[in-house]
Amino acid sequence: VTGRRHIYWPLPVEVQAGPDGVPSAVESVAVDAVREEWLVEDRWWTPRPLRRRYFELVLADGRNVVVFCEPADAGHWFLQRA
Amino acid sequence: MDITDNGTSLSRTIACALIPRFALLAILEERRALLTRPLALAPEPGGPQVVGEASGPAEAFGVRAGMRLGEALARCPELALVPPDPERAEAAWEEALRRLEAIGAAVEPGRPGEAFFEAAGLRGLWGGSVEGVLRRARKVIGPSVRLGAGQTRLCAYAAARQARPRRAPVVVPTAMARAFLAPLPVGLLRDRLSRNRAAPGDGVEEAARICSVDLPEKLERLGVSTLGQLAALPDAAIADRFGEAGLRALRMARGTDAPMRPRRAHEELVEWLELPEAASGPQLERALALLIDRLLAHPERRGRSLRRLQLGARLAGGGSWRSTAALRGASADPTRLRLALLPKLEELPGPAASLSLRALETGPPASDQAALGGSAQRNRRRRLAEAVRQARAVAGKDAVLRVLEVDSESRVPERRSLLTPFTTTDDSS
Repeated sequence: VTGRRHIYWPLPVEVQAGPDGVPSAVESVAVDAVREEWLVEDRWWTPRPLRRRYFELVLADGRNVVVFCEPADAGHWFLQRA
Repeated sequence: MDITDNGTSLSRTIACALIPRFALLAILEERRALLTRPLALAPEPGGPQVVGEASGPAEAFGVRAGMRLGEALARCPELALVPPDPERAEAAWEEALRRLEAIGAAVEPGRPGEAFFEAAGLRGLWGGSVEGVLRRARKVIGPSVRLGAGQTRLCAYAAARQARPRRAPVVVPTAMARAFLAPLPVGLLRDRLSRNRAAPGDGVEEAARICSVDLPEKLERLGVSTLGQLAALPDAAIADRFGEAGLRALRMARGTDAPMRPRRAHEELVEWLELPEAASGPQLERALALLIDRLLAHPERRGRSLRRLQLGARLAGGGSWRSTAALRGASADPTRLRLALLPKLEELPGPAASLSLRALETGPPASDQAALGGSAQRNRRRRLAEAVRQARAVAGKDAVLRVLEVDSESRVPERRSLLTPFTTTDDSS
């Protein structure tokens, strides 16, 4: 279901990533640790398949954030409460 | 004004606005080049197995709207079938009807692409003549519309069929109506007798429709090929052979008609929801709950209860579906509305890409009555509903929302829940 009234709607975010695609900084704040990483693939049967690579990160300022890259290989980065 | 025995006025002038193959055109949109090939609208899902409107090349093979699918394919094996999208066609035609109503016309809608209105009463507004009224109608609908006018619906319809787009409308004088109709083929009745395709599952309507659709063929087989020949036949013989449908056809051929039944002008009360995943089952039920909440919170409702609702869906596989639910008593109770609409979801022929809910008829603004001296809980609910109403009056319908679980197990977080207008069982006014 789409629309403006979704909860947990992803927001664009600036992420620096290494050559392996793992984030090294989020909005210029360094990443201290990658707590978890997972891949979500959905709607592969439609013309607009969904493929996201999620990361749960601990930042240098102590925040715990979830970001994902869509498409998973070299797409745009988003911040999401999950 | 002269009135006949059956209440028909003799001095009225009915106008017909006609865009042939409107439902087909609405679906094809930019791909209108396809009209040069034999194609027709496929049967509606769950409905009778008859084709809808057909393109010119398909009609050249003898395919016509209302024909059995098997017969259509037998007549034209290369016939391409387009999934029907009644919702889109109706929405597009609704626009045209509203523009007609905006010039003062009391419109009696037919199927998409066809509308009738009393033109004589509008002469004073638009140039003093019926032609002036029709010119104005063309201006608001668009140059592609064909316009005709006559004493009866059939007369106006036949005149509109003879009129050419972008050319002067055809107006049949009252005195000439019967002479105008007399040489026309009885096949013209086919479109008028089967104005609406039967609702899916409605056996009686379906039987009546088949009887009406076949009537012109039966008449032709009996050697009655024109409306003039039909008009000359005795009533008793027609009633004996063809029943009520035959008598209706006879009245039309003789230039008499039932009084106009224009629709009441109304605001559009509709909410829709896009479902990017082809949804079905519980997800669809939650989407329906969301739509009901939104419709009840719609500012145009202004506290009125809902009497008749249309649930529609755009299907993931192409085309659309709709079903109407009439409530026994007008209500604005979300639970009652949900109970009335949930069984309709089971009729959905396939996964839906979007869902819509439209109020076709509203009831009085009275709320569902509570018992005298209700409980404290009921009083609290009523006060809460009043607070919600006041908040909405100040900040709009999105002022008070609640979280609705849509797909709590989804791996995509934004699909798990939605914010929907807050409703209570007392939120009915």
